[in-house]
Amino acid sequence: MANISLQHLDKIYDNKVQAVFDFNLEVKDGEFIVLVGPSGCGKSTTLRMVAGLEDISAGKLLLDGKDITSAPAKDRDMAMVFQNYALYGHMTVYENMAFSLTLRKEDPNVIHKKVLAAAEILGLTDQLNKKPKQLSGGQRQRVAMGRAIVRNPKVFLFDEPLSNLDAKLRGATRREILLLHKRMNATMLYVTHDQTEALTLADRIVCMSMGHVQQVGTPLELYDTPANLFVASFIGLPPMNFFNVRMEGDQLEGSFFAYKLTAEQKELLKDYQGRELVLGVRPEDIETGGDIDVQVFSNENLGMSTLVHGRLMGRNTQDAQITCKLRGWCDYKSGDHVNVKFSKCHFFDKETTNAIR
Amino acid sequence: MMTLSLEDKKTIQLDRMRYTKNTFSSSMVYLAILFNVLYFVSIYESDVGSWYYAWIIGVSIVYNLVFMLISFLCSEGVKNYKLGYGYLLLGLGVGQIVRMFILPAMAHAAVTKRVIEKKAVEVPVMETPQYVLTIVLLALSAACCFAAGLVAVKRSRTLAAYNASLVEKA
Repeated sequence: MANISLQHLDKIYDNKVQAVFDFNLEVKDGEFIVLVGPSGCGKSTTLRMVAGLEDISAGKLLLDGKDITSAPAKDRDMAMVFQNYALYGHMTVYENMAFSLTLRKEDPNVIHKKVLAAAEILGLTDQLNKKPKQLSGGQRQRVAMGRAIVRNPKVFLFDEPLSNLDAKLRGATRREILLLHKRMNATMLYVTHDQTEALTLADRIVCMSMGHVQQVGTPLELYDTPANLFVASFIGLPPMNFFNVRMEGDQLEGSFFAYKLTAEQKELLKDYQGRELVLGVRPEDIETGGDIDVQVFSNENLGMSTLVHGRLMGRNTQDAQITCKLRGWCDYKSGDHVNVKFSKCHFFDKETTNAIR
Repeated sequence: MMTLSLEDKKTIQLDRMRYTKNTFSSSMVYLAILFNVLYFVSIYESDVGSWYYAWIIGVSIVYNLVFMLISFLCSEGVKNYKLGYGYLLLGLGVGQIVRMFILPAMAHAAVTKRVIEKKAVEVPVMETPQYVLTIVLLALSAACCFAAGLVAVKRSRTLAAYNASLVEKA
């Protein structure tokens, strides 16, 4: 398969709007990279630049060391799977999958073998004579993937391929993509705004915001050691709780609670004595039994856990909102008080928004 | 680059028929329809009006319509390897050959009076060049029907046998 090198890529549109700023990434052979971020962050633009569907305003794009910055899309040996499938409605599944190879005037017998092999991988053998309109959304997306597979490209590009599917189908198709990657060991670039997809699929995640790369790392790195407030708030569901706190002595004082620092944390925050910083706590890192008072205003049982939305000390201000993901089945009523403690905390500089490490 | 043995190629060609349409036959039928239309249009190039307005005109027009409708239906049928439509096309081909001996031959043999240099002269209703043209067009249309029909029958039988062998294997 292939190594891709994205070096200082910029995208500036004709109307002078810059969508991507200085994008740098080295994608290793067989790696599954997921570009994640909110709508308009430049992730699809980056993917389209890699595919050759958008011109690169500045920077270099290398495929296996070969400069393909200005190469047309058809010469890049990459296959792209789109959100809306982009299938030909008047063709059967077989014809859709064979189409790109037919255009290249490959031997029909070879095309047939490749199409059947791809259909076998994707479980589409029984659907080959059907038209796309006779298929479910998940099957259509598999046809779109099959069309990419038969080309045997160096790189697979996915642009939010699961966005049109319902939740159940999305989960199933996600697992299929993962199996496909393991089976083909292909280099894949995948764009999504869904962090669940990013965390479950990626070898490495590129988290983007407003055209800038915020952090590149494994799913665990992004979840466990977010580089800044944006990554911390974007990765994780429900999102991380943030509190403005001030370091006073050996504790962090918030508006409605005080958090006693461990020796290790004290050492980490020694430069912040008397200064304000942001304390981040994931809902799943909150446990019952501490001295932080939370007044419950809603209780969502999820089976294995319970999401408790509440207010610190019953105060109705932005800084007092808290979401806790407590283990087991809890039956709190609105207005109940529960004492909690933070088992793991993240610290961020208030000015730079970067994580304090 | 994938290379295939001859045996592989034969099997794959058979298997391909399960997913690809018989476009050769259906294209030949479209050609047959085209030649038939050209034939029908070319009939009116000469002064057949004086002779042509008889019961035969009704039959001719209706047959043209029927031919085009049925052959179009056949083109869809043979595209999907339906054996019956292959035989029907062979029948339509025979019909096109028979037609050569009806309207064009009769019009070529018939004479009509025409005033040439203030004299009434007897001339054929359909002159020889036009007669040849209509015959050629009908012959081409018939040839297309035969080609389409024969290929469709052969392929449909082969595919049916192959499908049966797959069922047996299963």
